[in-house]
Amino acid sequence: MAKKILVIDDEKIVCDMAKKILEAEHYEVETFTDSQLALERIRTQPFDLVVTDLKMENVSGMDILKEVNRLYPETRVIMLTAYATLDATIEAIRERIYDFFPKPVKIDELKQSVKKALGDL
Amino acid sequence: MLRSAITIRKRIIIAAVIQAIVICLICGFGYVSFNAILTKLQAIEIIDDVNIAFLEMRKAEKNFFLYRDLSSLEELVQIGKKQYAVLQHSRSYLVTRLHGISHEEYSNWLGNLSHYLDLVQQAVQKKEVPPRSEAEIRKLGHDLTAQSATLLVRERKTVSDIVSYSLIMLLASLGIIFVIQVVLWQYFFRFIIQEITIMGKMIKMVSEGRFHEVAVRTIAPTNEIQVAVKAITDMARELEKREQELVQSGKLASLGVLISGVAHELGNPLNNVSMIAQTYLSLYDLLGDEEKKNYMEDVFTQSERIKKIVENLLDFSRQKKQELHDIQIGDLVQRSLALVGNQLKISKVKHTVFIADHLPPVSVDVSQIQQVLVNLFINAIQAMEGGGELFIDASYDQEHDMVVLAVRDTGTGIKKEILPNIFDPFFTTKSTKGTGLGLSVSYGIIRQHNGEISVESEEGQGTTFIIKIPAKGKDKGE
Repeated sequence: MAKKILVIDDEKIVCDMAKKILEAEHYEVETFTDSQLALERIRTQPFDLVVTDLKMENVSGMDILKEVNRLYPETRVIMLTAYATLDATIEAIRERIYDFFPKPVKIDELKQSVKKALGDL
Repeated sequence: MLRSAITIRKRIIIAAVIQAIVICLICGFGYVSFNAILTKLQAIEIIDDVNIAFLEMRKAEKNFFLYRDLSSLEELVQIGKKQYAVLQHSRSYLVTRLHGISHEEYSNWLGNLSHYLDLVQQAVQKKEVPPRSEAEIRKLGHDLTAQSATLLVRERKTVSDIVSYSLIMLLASLGIIFVIQVVLWQYFFRFIIQEITIMGKMIKMVSEGRFHEVAVRTIAPTNEIQVAVKAITDMARELEKREQELVQSGKLASLGVLISGVAHELGNPLNNVSMIAQTYLSLYDLLGDEEKKNYMEDVFTQSERIKKIVENLLDFSRQKKQELHDIQIGDLVQRSLALVGNQLKISKVKHTVFIADHLPPVSVDVSQIQQVLVNLFINAIQAMEGGGELFIDASYDQEHDMVVLAVRDTGTGIKKEILPNIFDPFFTTKSTKGTGLGLSVSYGIIRQHNGEISVESEEGQGTTFIIKIPAKGKDKGE
């Protein structure tokens, strides 16, 4: 059965492109542009990997990371961000972030990171 | 205009000359009148004396006819001769002074007196009066006194006429002076007052910061006040230029804050373009033609988004001449929010906009008001470190016909003791981060729009800025 990945980003294009790329790698991808809906989805369904933006309206990427850690400690989280401050980075590391990508995201690197996180490499 | 072609100096000289001429004429007339009265009175005095003497002669005459006392007649002759000498001596004087008597009449009168005295003298010499002479003497005596009395009455009436006439002329002179004053006021001095009033209004406008309205007036000065008025318009023009420079400095200060937000805002569409391109390249062989087309359309949409962000910022930063446009305040709020949108997001500030229905438009310089709003939003965001809420509320003040915009934050608030200073130029609480231009420039801009800006704040609770701008009513439409 294909591994499930959840992608959360305010930008629809980020979601669409990530879905396209990851589906090409035979993963099952679900995307959300509304982080609140994404949080609710996480609460009902476990994912193998979560890829989320940091700064978002409603719920931030950090809150998603915390909630995933709380509910599914084995699920890894990869974070994307356009403006990574040192404080945010440190906080993410303390919350055991798996990987961190500044925008613009290099898709090949993201793909590699996803595969590595899911043990497919 | 003729009235403004005369300098005030000339006006005052002309007015003084006219007044001097009128006063001289009135005085001259008064002098002539009084002189006439005086000479008439002197003449009348002589006639009066003569008249009294004649009455005495008649009394002596009566005494003689009653008591036949010759000494009475001698007395009569004595008085008569004296009066005859007086009248003879004063002949030319009296005839020229007394208009009521001609030379012939006077001669006739003197002749009568002479004849009368002759008859009496004959009687004295003969020591008797023949009955024929008696009647003649009586008649002549009667005629003499009657003539002098008539003359007296006539001349007294003439004097009284002159006095009445002078009185009327005096009143008329007052009237003429009044009319001349009114004319001088109308054609000379009213304009001075009017021009000073206009100058006063202009100075008031300058003091209220409405430089533009004053600066656009063109004046070719033809008198002293207009020279001063021109100096005021020149000053307003200079102040307007300075203020524009200040406005631009304030804008640049805001821009410094905006630019980091905008740089971040550009991050998203740039990332999108980058991701589309990478996906496109990576999955090139797998993508259908339709999908490839969609990808390129997405690239185009994202590049438009970048263009819009950059344009918005450029538009804001550009220095422009003040231009008034009719606009809904809601549009202004949205445009300004677009500039600080990313700042709000980064700073975790939620914003709520409430625009009342059916607001009248305002006639404003869009760029300047946007500058004011951006400045208020940035201040609010900076006052809410760690997040907060920004409320923007637009309503209509029917009583004053103004559109009212309230910008409220839930930030740290402003200390009571510095509240009166916040609109002062170069006053800042942000040390090196602020220039102290933002609010002072905003104040200037709003005043230039005939509006008001005020602040209410409570420490720890937040701050509300209230902007009032005159509504552009239907009746004021151009």
